[in-house]
Amino acid sequence: MSDKHTITVTVNGHVYTDDCEARMTLADFLRRQCGLTGTHLGCEHGVCGACTVFLDDVAVRSCLTFAVQADGARIKTVEGLAEGDELNTLQKSFQENHGLQCGFCTPGMLMCATELLRENPNPTETEVREGISGVLCRCTGYDGIVRSVMAAADSRRDGVSESGSIS
Amino acid sequence: MTTTEPQSTKYAGKPQPGIDDPSLLTGSSTYMDDITVPRMIEGAVLRSPVAHARITRIDVSKARELPGVFDVITGNDLVEIAGEQPVIWYPIPEQRIARAHALATDTVRWVGQGVAAVAAVDRYVAEDALELIEVDYEPLPVVADLEQALAPDAPKLYEDWPDNVSGSMTLTAGDADAAFAEADVVVGASFRHHPGYGCPIETRGCISNWDVFSGRLDVWLGTQSPNLARELFAQVLSLPVSKIRVRTPEIGGGFGLKFDFYPEGVIAAILSRRSKRPVKLLEDRQESFVASSRSRDMRHDFEMALRSDGTILGLRGTAYGVLGGALGTVGAGPPWASVLTSMGPYKIPNQELTLKAVMTNRSPYGSYRGWGVPKGNIVHERLIELAARKLGMSRIELRRMNFPAPDEFPYFSGAAFTFDSGRYADCLDLATSAVEERGWNELQREGREAGRSIGIGYGFHIEPGAYGPSRVLNMVGLDHSGFDEVYVRMDSAGKVTVLSGQISTGQGTHTTYAQLVAEGLGVPIEDVTVVTGDTESCPYTGYGTGGSRAATLGGAAIVNATGRLKAKILRIGAELLEADPEDLELDNGRVSVRGAADSSVSTADIGYSAYRMLNGRLPESETPTLEEVDVFDPANMTTSYACTALLVEVDRQTGAVKLLDCLQAHDAGVIINPLLADGQLAGGLAQAFGGGLFEEFVYDDDGQIRTASFMDYLIPSATDIPPFHFYHQETPAPHIPGGMKGLGEAGTIAGVSVVGSAIDDALSDLGVTVCEFPMTPPRLLELIRAAQSGEATT
Repeated sequence: MSDKHTITVTVNGHVYTDDCEARMTLADFLRRQCGLTGTHLGCEHGVCGACTVFLDDVAVRSCLTFAVQADGARIKTVEGLAEGDELNTLQKSFQENHGLQCGFCTPGMLMCATELLRENPNPTETEVREGISGVLCRCTGYDGIVRSVMAAADSRRDGVSESGSIS
Repeated sequence: MTTTEPQSTKYAGKPQPGIDDPSLLTGSSTYMDDITVPRMIEGAVLRSPVAHARITRIDVSKARELPGVFDVITGNDLVEIAGEQPVIWYPIPEQRIARAHALATDTVRWVGQGVAAVAAVDRYVAEDALELIEVDYEPLPVVADLEQALAPDAPKLYEDWPDNVSGSMTLTAGDADAAFAEADVVVGASFRHHPGYGCPIETRGCISNWDVFSGRLDVWLGTQSPNLARELFAQVLSLPVSKIRVRTPEIGGGFGLKFDFYPEGVIAAILSRRSKRPVKLLEDRQESFVASSRSRDMRHDFEMALRSDGTILGLRGTAYGVLGGALGTVGAGPPWASVLTSMGPYKIPNQELTLKAVMTNRSPYGSYRGWGVPKGNIVHERLIELAARKLGMSRIELRRMNFPAPDEFPYFSGAAFTFDSGRYADCLDLATSAVEERGWNELQREGREAGRSIGIGYGFHIEPGAYGPSRVLNMVGLDHSGFDEVYVRMDSAGKVTVLSGQISTGQGTHTTYAQLVAEGLGVPIEDVTVVTGDTESCPYTGYGTGGSRAATLGGAAIVNATGRLKAKILRIGAELLEADPEDLELDNGRVSVRGAADSSVSTADIGYSAYRMLNGRLPESETPTLEEVDVFDPANMTTSYACTALLVEVDRQTGAVKLLDCLQAHDAGVIINPLLADGQLAGGLAQAFGGGLFEEFVYDDDGQIRTASFMDYLIPSATDIPPFHFYHQETPAPHIPGGMKGLGEAGTIAGVSVVGSAIDDALSDLGVTVCEFPMTPPRLLELIRAAQSGEATT
């Protein structure tokens, strides 16, 4: 198991080059090699969605992706969402609407909701529920999360957020 | 909505967002697996693939030779250092207590029991090494379920026991036999809640650093009970408590599961001691299904006796707790609590309640939010609906007429608990009027006319919280206390730090504590820092963060401590302002003469006077510093309650149940933070709906678990869960300063039986009675088909 590969990824704008075994998951590469522990592992078999990150702008399960598959890719994780020292519109909305409790699924939930709002800026409640159904939350009963995503869509639509940035 | 008069408060009772949220939302918080300590290596546990067997040989030599491996241990290595895993609850007198070591020595009694462990350079290598360990098992007969365990010719888990019953007890009130003899109507059923678990999305984990040279054990542990864990590490490893430090990082959900004290903490400590390196040991998801506490698993054969006018005369029955191959930390505690609460909110003068705790070849039974009470709730809520049906009475009115009236509180339930205060009928009305207001009755009528099977379920629950008066807990069999201690400290700059032995698992302990301090002292909430999760700096709490204790007991201690600290601040302010303390007020961090705002000093001035420039500023009669300690041991527990209503649609072709809408009228006394309170209620209900419809540990005849992944163990997603609507009334807890009652377990207690109620109502034309949970589509189809073919189900 000593077959090491050198890979280079750009995560949240920073370039990381490191060696890894072929079997290392992207999630472990991000957490162990890049020090980005905001991406969480809840099941390591692709169901819970906590490890969701953007790989070249597409949401993927980083526990089901090998690091070597990401060689050369642009990756965005939860650490890349805030705008400077300020939470972005979606993050603020999660705080105001109690869209999180323990915070463990939250990184995956934020990445998933970011993609949802990018593809459908005006979702109905049903569409929000379907959109986030691939990320499991054990704390909230989803009530606060659905409210948060709806409110983020509203505030962006109403231009309340200066930057209007969701992604 | 609330039925109490709004109070003039700045922070308490307000929807303050979580103070920890920004770090949780940006990935900058630190959970267990995010921690790396210097020189750390990583462990993994080899687990038994069979449910019952004798270990005849273990060969770890190949694993030891793998490059990157530091140590491999078996049960025989572990017992040289560690004692048996502890049990802290002994509710059944003369119960046989089956203890096990953290790794099996000669016999395995459940699939997943640890038999060996590895420490290696990282988890990848540690798991490689597990594959090189050779174990020979000599199979023993498997007791796969409760019925097999109780069979007259059942194989025994423990050869020196007469059978598989760990213990039994009967609680009585009045004369149940006489009540049943004179009853006009008797209803009864056998209720089954299959096993499931708390299932936090973050699994369990620890880093143990046992330094033999300093004699100190330093542990990072994902636990709800750091003080208890320190006590139990000391007990198992024969170390002085003072040499052990337990710290908790951010916890990714606990739900009671992380209250219990598990083998892995001990295994990591032994690996650390031997390898002289800190060892991280994390449970992966698949392991969690066999290594974290199994819960809920019980059968209740109960019956209720009533007069024809609806008055309940008696309740009797036997509850079977399906324990595992050894006792977990809380023993038969949750099954016991299910029996104690089986009468629910109803006045039942005659009771005969029996508990039997039975060993099986399943993983150890343990804590999960609700702690037995969800099954007590199934008993009284399902039986009262069966009785209403048989009597031809309204299920709402039958409940109402059997409640204790508000002036009957404190009300003794007949078995252990005395309910502190309540306006149960008001709460019921609040729920039924909300159902009307939301148009459910009309929706149901229209739906039925269109051929849809729409049902409305009702459930009334009680939630014992603020566990509990220490001496009473000791008397009923707890080898631990129930008090809580808090330090409230204002520093030299006038800012406040609260230290507590409770911890936060996402329920908002830090936020609600900050609100109580800001409110109690009169300082901005931004000036309050809450510190938890370190046994070296934080105070002692009995038990841990479980039993709906954090807001009630920690909150009460904070109310007391801040009251005394405020008085001292005002006395110092009086010296500085040359005024009478009686004439002063403290608001927004300033002490001022009431009605003369220009005459004021800041808390920074007070802090400076108490810590640095005492001469001429601190009254001679005052000791330096600004700190108050409060130890609060409650005189009674709290009993919150709610009426829950659930709107469902049943698909008679598939047996699928769609949850359409849900509301709850709730009373947990004084609410500190309605935003967080509603979050607790919603989250608990969602978990219960999982347990009511989807989540189950399925075992085969060999005791193998068939549901050890999220592909098979189905926790609800956003599309499975309905919207929630909460309505509050506030009846204060009479003996808790602040008036708060526990509410963290409300949803899990309320949410299972109400699923049964709603399904029954949707299928009322068939006369279906749901007695088994989770009510999966195949099970419901079977009930529907039986009813359609004319077989009575009750």
